[in-house]
Amino acid sequence: MAEGASRSGVVKKLKATSIASAYQKEWFAGLKKRVEAGEDFGYLNADVPMEILRAMDIPFVVNQWWAAICGAKRMTRKYFGLLRDAGYRDDLCSYCATAFAESLDPDDHKVDAEGNPMGPWGGLPDPTLAITRLTCDCQSKIFELFARNHGASFYAIENTVPRKVPLKWFEMAPDDWEELYDTDRLDTAVEELKELIRFLEMKTGKMFDINELERVMNLINEQEGWYKKIRDLIASCHPVPVTVVDTINAVMQAQWQRGTEWAAGHAKGLYEEIKALADRGEAAVPNEKYRLMWIGRGIWHDFGFYQRFEQKYGAVFMWSMYLAMGADAYIRHHVEKDPLRALAARYIGMEDFLHMPPWNSQWYLQQARQNDIDGVVYMVPENCMQAVEGSYFIRKTLEDAGIPVLTFNADPVDPRKWSAETMTGLVEDFIEKRVIPMKEAREAR
Amino acid sequence: MGIRECARKNPAFQALLEAYTHREDAASAFRSSGGKVIGELGCDVPDELIIAAGMLPVRIYADPEKPLKETDRYLEYAFDPVVRSQFEKIVDGTCYDQIDHLVISNSTDVVIRIFLYLREMHRVEPEKHVPPVEFIDWLFTRNRLHQVRNEHTIGLFKEAVESWAGRSISDEEIRRAAEICNADRQALRRISALRTGKEVRVSGCEALVIIGSAFFMERQEHTRLVGEVAADAAEWPVLDGPRVFFTGSDQEDLSVYERIEDTGLVIVGEDHNWGDRFFDRDYNMAYTPVRAIVDCYMLREFSSKKAFVSQRVEALDRWVERTGAQAVIFYTNRYEEAASWDYPSQKKSLEERGIRTVNFAKMSYPVSANPDFPEKIQAFSEMLKNEITGKEAH
Repeated sequence: MAEGASRSGVVKKLKATSIASAYQKEWFAGLKKRVEAGEDFGYLNADVPMEILRAMDIPFVVNQWWAAICGAKRMTRKYFGLLRDAGYRDDLCSYCATAFAESLDPDDHKVDAEGNPMGPWGGLPDPTLAITRLTCDCQSKIFELFARNHGASFYAIENTVPRKVPLKWFEMAPDDWEELYDTDRLDTAVEELKELIRFLEMKTGKMFDINELERVMNLINEQEGWYKKIRDLIASCHPVPVTVVDTINAVMQAQWQRGTEWAAGHAKGLYEEIKALADRGEAAVPNEKYRLMWIGRGIWHDFGFYQRFEQKYGAVFMWSMYLAMGADAYIRHHVEKDPLRALAARYIGMEDFLHMPPWNSQWYLQQARQNDIDGVVYMVPENCMQAVEGSYFIRKTLEDAGIPVLTFNADPVDPRKWSAETMTGLVEDFIEKRVIPMKEAREAR
Repeated sequence: MGIRECARKNPAFQALLEAYTHREDAASAFRSSGGKVIGELGCDVPDELIIAAGMLPVRIYADPEKPLKETDRYLEYAFDPVVRSQFEKIVDGTCYDQIDHLVISNSTDVVIRIFLYLREMHRVEPEKHVPPVEFIDWLFTRNRLHQVRNEHTIGLFKEAVESWAGRSISDEEIRRAAEICNADRQALRRISALRTGKEVRVSGCEALVIIGSAFFMERQEHTRLVGEVAADAAEWPVLDGPRVFFTGSDQEDLSVYERIEDTGLVIVGEDHNWGDRFFDRDYNMAYTPVRAIVDCYMLREFSSKKAFVSQRVEALDRWVERTGAQAVIFYTNRYEEAASWDYPSQKKSLEERGIRTVNFAKMSYPVSANPDFPEKIQAFSEMLKNEITGKEAH
């Protein structure tokens, strides 16, 4: 096995990635102890303003992170069988339905004959709170079912659609967020936060502290500021010192810990580690020739996919949303004026930045240019309306700018429909027929 | 069974059937006489405001025969087939030849995406013959904050309608329009009573025509015709088959209902937007106009898309009790997924009450693309008939 190679054959070079993984396990074990001791525990969708729970010291797990853990532990096949047995369809909403399916698993908290836990990381402890946003018709239904199975209280936060859509949101978001959004949307979002706070206070007996939220928001700005430095650094390196295989896990795991001292410190450490690699001129792929952008959620069940084109073509997946969203979507300055409003200005845009044209397409284009991208591989997820995001407009925007795009359908957590061979062939064909010729033509000009 | 002779012979029903069949005729005549026609996509566009402005609201509907040449370029495959077909008519220029403005309400996630795509299309491909689009950003979770937000949203929509009309719309005009809409709802409830009473006099197919024609003609005329049909239908022959309730995908034409009722089942109610849900709740004349519109549309019986599972379970139980249905048919088109999360809980609750259910999920569109559907629904019908006969024998 190569140095840094995992059982899946993925080669990870950063210490920060393994530090984050180790921390997650330790943190999760601590969380389980807190829940066992009777503390309230929240299960949240990724677009829920988790900063409120952080500020109130209510432990929580994020749905998308947990689905990725379940996917990486290859539990999906079993879980979707459980869904089918319970009368549900097994081909829908895989990202959101994974944890609900897990709640149907009678073995989740058991150990096998050899004493190994049967559920991922020993299984999800019973949440007392299940909170989602209404950014998709199915999501609230799944969360309600999940809450019922765990005996948790279900809470839903509404979503509004922007009327005002300035194209360069990524330039406005950190400082000019008041101008970025319709004022009445922000007003409503602040009121939503107040209602959420009241619900949490009633449910947990803990009182919200605005100064603690301000501290959390500032820690997040610090953390995301490091991500911005990392993103900018990687973009400027030719060849890049790290790939998405290094950054996705390091960032995603810490992102769900945002608002803690640990996460801010981890982001700083990640920057320093990558900066040291860059300063030494180390290349993730020494023969780097083509820089690829990955649009979509991570392929959690086949992470090695991203590295299959390095040796043969010198093609390196060097961009994913996980780092770049941290860089561009989270930072909100002027927190001290009104921490709740600054938080509202973060959470109401999160889905739109990713899933609404023109905000997503314009950002991808700007990012492709900053990162000198030669080709874009775009996974349109199966069975997920939330992630339906105007792929036509994204593709058109990039292609019109001379950046070739490969689009294909796949599922980030369900390996049943994934053929590594077919997908690898698709990307190889794309590199040979579009990425290489277009780059050569550009260079000839 | 379909539409019976007794219905076809009735002149008022003939007129409704004419409007239902030739859906562009009334709109075309309205435009020819200088009126503005407003297309509606999503089932929560308040007709009261459009009618108050002297305009004609019409529904955008799918054409299953039309090839999806444009749609396949723009829409991901996860969009359900009915919406795909509706979208084709919007982007290929068909709609803009028939309507002046398009209003989209966020009645489902899918149509929200349609709004976002059309807005972007206007920006990046302005040469396309696509009507100007207005969006109504309803919030359907029921609490005070969202009610207040909806009042703001409807205020914005009123401003948009006023800009189309080139004048302000008075409260009195809205109230008059509300009276028109309420009268129509009241007339349709008379039809519903003829489906759900001790004796069933109106079939599901006939009801779809009577209700759905409202989307393609002037509302006062619709009310008058429905009233005449209701008076006559009280004497139509009684329908004796097992009484079933239909839940699931919107039925924009008769093809699914015909296949169901051909087996001897009688559809006595439905919770989709081309059926009973259309006239579920009145505009409250005691409220101020914006407040009354929000009350009417926000608090209608839950839709299959914008409601939690528990709400949908209770809603279906209520519908079934109200209509006296003996069984429920679940029918959802492929990629129309939200309701499928409700189904196991709804089935459990219904069966605990002795209500039989049958589920047709992931159905191809149009229904003719499901060759085994007639056989399966026939088998369900026979099973129900045998059960009912058996119960009666006891």
